Amino acid sequence: MNKFVWLVSYPKSGNTWFRIFLANYLKDSKVPLPFDDIQNASISSSALDFEEETGLNPFELSISEVENFRPDLYRSLSLNAADDSIFKKTHDAYTYNKNGHPIFPEDISQCAVYFVRNPLDVCVSYANHSASKIEKTVAFLLNQNARAGGYKGGQLGQKLLSWDLHYKSWNEQKAIPIHTVRYEDMLQNPMETFGSIVKFLQMEYDEERLARAIINSDFKLLQKMENEKGFKERLQHCEQFFWKGAIGNYKNYLTQDQIDRIVNNCHDVMKQLGYIDSKGILTV
Amino acid sequence: MNFNFPIGSVSISIEKSIEHPIAPIYSTPRIQVNETDFAMTIDGVATYRVKDGQKIWVSPHPGADRASIQLFLNGSVFGALLHQQGSIPFHGCSFEYEGKGIIICGNSGVGKSSVTAAFCQKGARFINDDITPVCLEKDGAKIVPINTKIKLWDDSLKTLEIGDKDLEKIRPEMQKFYVPFGGTNQHPVPLNTVIILSTHEDNKYKAEKLTGIEKYNLLRKNIYRKMYLRGMPLTAGRLFKNLLGIAEKIEVILVKRPHKSDIYSTMDFIQKQL
Repeated sequence: MNKFVWLVSYPKSGNTWFRIFLANYLKDSKVPLPFDDIQNASISSSALDFEEETGLNPFELSISEVENFRPDLYRSLSLNAADDSIFKKTHDAYTYNKNGHPIFPEDISQCAVYFVRNPLDVCVSYANHSASKIEKTVAFLLNQNARAGGYKGGQLGQKLLSWDLHYKSWNEQKAIPIHTVRYEDMLQNPMETFGSIVKFLQMEYDEERLARAIINSDFKLLQKMENEKGFKERLQHCEQFFWKGAIGNYKNYLTQDQIDRIVNNCHDVMKQLGYIDSKGILTV
Repeated sequence: MNFNFPIGSVSISIEKSIEHPIAPIYSTPRIQVNETDFAMTIDGVATYRVKDGQKIWVSPHPGADRASIQLFLNGSVFGALLHQQGSIPFHGCSFEYEGKGIIICGNSGVGKSSVTAAFCQKGARFINDDITPVCLEKDGAKIVPINTKIKLWDDSLKTLEIGDKDLEKIRPEMQKFYVPFGGTNQHPVPLNTVIILSTHEDNKYKAEKLTGIEKYNLLRKNIYRKMYLRGMPLTAGRLFKNLLGIAEKIEVILVKRPHKSDIYSTMDFIQKQL
């Protein structure tokens, strides 16, 4: 049965924000849901899920062995889940394992929502999140073989690829129906953008409920909640998970050379997504 | 091919191929399980079958190395055997410290083995690594000693100042090693405390003594390979009933350590809770 709804993004592109909106929308909550109620939708690279479902310690397997197990891991999770839909966050690119099978199997996938954000802002936000130097993060975004996780005690190893290849991998695959939204549109036209996802997911569309869920997941409110109670997904050396969230924040942090390198490497996808206009000028 | 195994009196045969269990109650593409029969396939390593808590068949896959076959035999496959025998296997390392039987449970990678090794350097007596069977007797819960060595990654060896020169790798391509820590106990050791070790993104350590249903639920969560019990409903019923009895007799402490923290600080913090 096709249960999985993959919530896909390169890191720091609005995925967590959307999950908070989704939790509020699904519950039709009158007041903002506390973080404890919305942190249960685990990530596809959960080492705990892997061990629970395969009976194997993923850190005693090679990365390619883990990848060979992953399609069956999701089949097993699907089989054992009581719900008709399983929302699962993922930062993985859409790739194939050594057996030639996609990591995310078509037969248990309902659809995917892809969240994309201007890579210049992603770079700055990701550097803050992982307490890394900006230059290192620029290189990571442009690395066609970039990986995350895979270290003991953390998440399963994930192939991220470069920022533009990550986007292409999901948006050019044909096996899983996909709906792509821009982070900037979530921020500037929330009713239209969040509403488009609700409709794509074939959930009951109710404007009042939609507006309430958007207000209950407002970025400034999330910052306030994090300041008061903390947020589980914040890494130990990162000061704040819901940091700035602003559009064009990169201008305060990236050098012209760093901007040029990202733009040159990601030009086609940035243009396709409207981050660069027809004259080749940055729109943000 | 000969293999070491954590307990004696179990027959291990090497076969060219293995038949899968008849009528599994629970199955995935790589695991089939019912009350008395279990099979598991790890591509490129081996197919294993365990029957009646007494007999194991191993069918190595072409090109598989002995160390890898042994690793899974002594881990996930051994777990199936323990469930068939009606044991209560915890996902944890155990040691005896100042007269108390301690198990450190937690998810893989949380640091159970490293902290256990640190305790052993400070005078604790090592009992088991990664899997600790517990039995419930009239006079209380007891840790059952099995024959294991601590498995440690290279960075832990460095922190603990243990050289890797003569140590055997758990798999040829992995920088994780078997470290012998003294002789194995022969007799069951009374169990006093289970530490449930986890990580959080805070900079401080936290400890909470658990009571009631929370205590039972966390013990249940830390049963080794409890997913096998999906195919062993009768065994599961007995195990969870015995677990209630164990929960009444022991202390369970949830310890959260900072995600980035060192082995000795974690050991010191746990030591203060005991």
